[in-house]
Amino acid sequence: MAVSSHELIAGFTDPVQASQQVFRAALKVMSEPGTLVDVDYVEEAPKGLDQSTWQLTLSLLDPDTRVWLSPTLAANDAVISNLRFHCQCPLVENHGEADFAIALHSELPLLAELNWGSAEYPDRSTTLMVQVPALSAEPFWTLSGPGIEHTRSLRIAGLPDAFRAELIKSRQRFPLGIDTFWCCGNQLTALPRTTAIEPLNTAQEAC
Amino acid sequence: MSTATGYNFAYLDEQSKRMIRRAILKGVAIPGYQVPFGGREMPLPHGWGTGGMQVTASVIGEADKLKVIDQGADDTTNAVSIRRFFAHTAGVETTEQTAEATLIQTRHRIPERPLQADQILIYQVPIPEPLRFIEPRESETRKMHALSEYGAMQVKLYEDVARFGHIATSYDYPVMVNNRYMMDPSPIPKFDNPKMSMMPALQLFGAGFEKRIYAVPPFTQVESLDFDDHPFEVQSWDEACAICGSDHSFLDEVITDDNGSKMFVCSDTDYCRERVEQGFVGTAADLPIAEVGTN
Repeated sequence: MAVSSHELIAGFTDPVQASQQVFRAALKVMSEPGTLVDVDYVEEAPKGLDQSTWQLTLSLLDPDTRVWLSPTLAANDAVISNLRFHCQCPLVENHGEADFAIALHSELPLLAELNWGSAEYPDRSTTLMVQVPALSAEPFWTLSGPGIEHTRSLRIAGLPDAFRAELIKSRQRFPLGIDTFWCCGNQLTALPRTTAIEPLNTAQEAC
Repeated sequence: MSTATGYNFAYLDEQSKRMIRRAILKGVAIPGYQVPFGGREMPLPHGWGTGGMQVTASVIGEADKLKVIDQGADDTTNAVSIRRFFAHTAGVETTEQTAEATLIQTRHRIPERPLQADQILIYQVPIPEPLRFIEPRESETRKMHALSEYGAMQVKLYEDVARFGHIATSYDYPVMVNNRYMMDPSPIPKFDNPKMSMMPALQLFGAGFEKRIYAVPPFTQVESLDFDDHPFEVQSWDEACAICGSDHSFLDEVITDDNGSKMFVCSDTDYCRERVEQGFVGTAADLPIAEVGTN
């Protein structure tokens, strides 16, 4: 699909400094999982992408990264045109081949079908970026692991039960795993493969 | 200091920075695992901290305050050159004070003053693979890490015990990160090993020659290898620092004349300065320090 020039929007005003600031935000949330940070270096995002997702892609993607988009995003001309124009990243159709997978919360791929890397090279796994309806520090999930002194609370709204169960279970395969960024509006957080997730209780888990 | 023209901010081009940034994020997600990256040529030779510099260049921003130390000192050649390099190419503020710095690039020491959350400590690493002297083949050490097969290192430490009666390894002392990966902490004295565990600051490691990046996120368990009957111990001194009187910091032995006179001083110069300002004194406090240095 070609780039539709009428869909193009501006990226970062100052690409060097803004990319660095967004990376530092990504580094902060990846090294202190479940921390919520705001990133605010763009005026607008392509229709269909949240501002935090858009800023992450501008900061981290380039011609070296294969990107998979969930079906609604993949059919969105504005998203594809802007990713092609600003990041020049190759888009792949098979999510198993992607270095980065960008998905809506309602269109999550099966974690098991993403690239998990290998025992010798666990760093070659897919990084998943998910757009969700809400992120908050409400006690819903209790997180623990590297980057968390005791425990930290996080609530990610809108995730299908099956996906939540799969994500929690995926911790057993460490050091293999899928690292995840969670985006909502300007908000950003991350859950690397090392973070253990304890649901508050099964009753709340169902709601 | 004026910023250099004709170079990108912090010297490296944006594409290289993005590649290094992605490697850092994977390193943080797999604590202690060595992520291969496309090491770039830096305008100084390998072995002078090019790995640490590439990490610093990818992490640093206009708001950062950079401190660079070499064996604890801010005023040695390596530290001065690297600090000037970033002042010149990134125009960032630099400092010698540990408490003020947001980024600290270090060669072979961890500052004595405990680091805080949101500080980042960047180590220069010569040989990132702890198993390299035991197994020279990369394909094999990869497998050893994949299978968590670390018995060979215990044997190496045991050989120390058999020969000397104690574990004689005193720097570059292997650690286990988050109970999974064996990691080379870079040639810091084992005195500094306990500081790595549950540190509130983020620790990043860059090896330029070997092109590897690895990381220890804040509040991550880092355990030094040992045996039940030969527990891990750090160095200790009978002397105190001659300048500030500290009896709990890592001390350097300094020869002061041709007759075998010597004194012990803090290796961390900023910590020593801070203590002197607080009014602590050592045995050499009446000596003019400049004169001691020139003898």
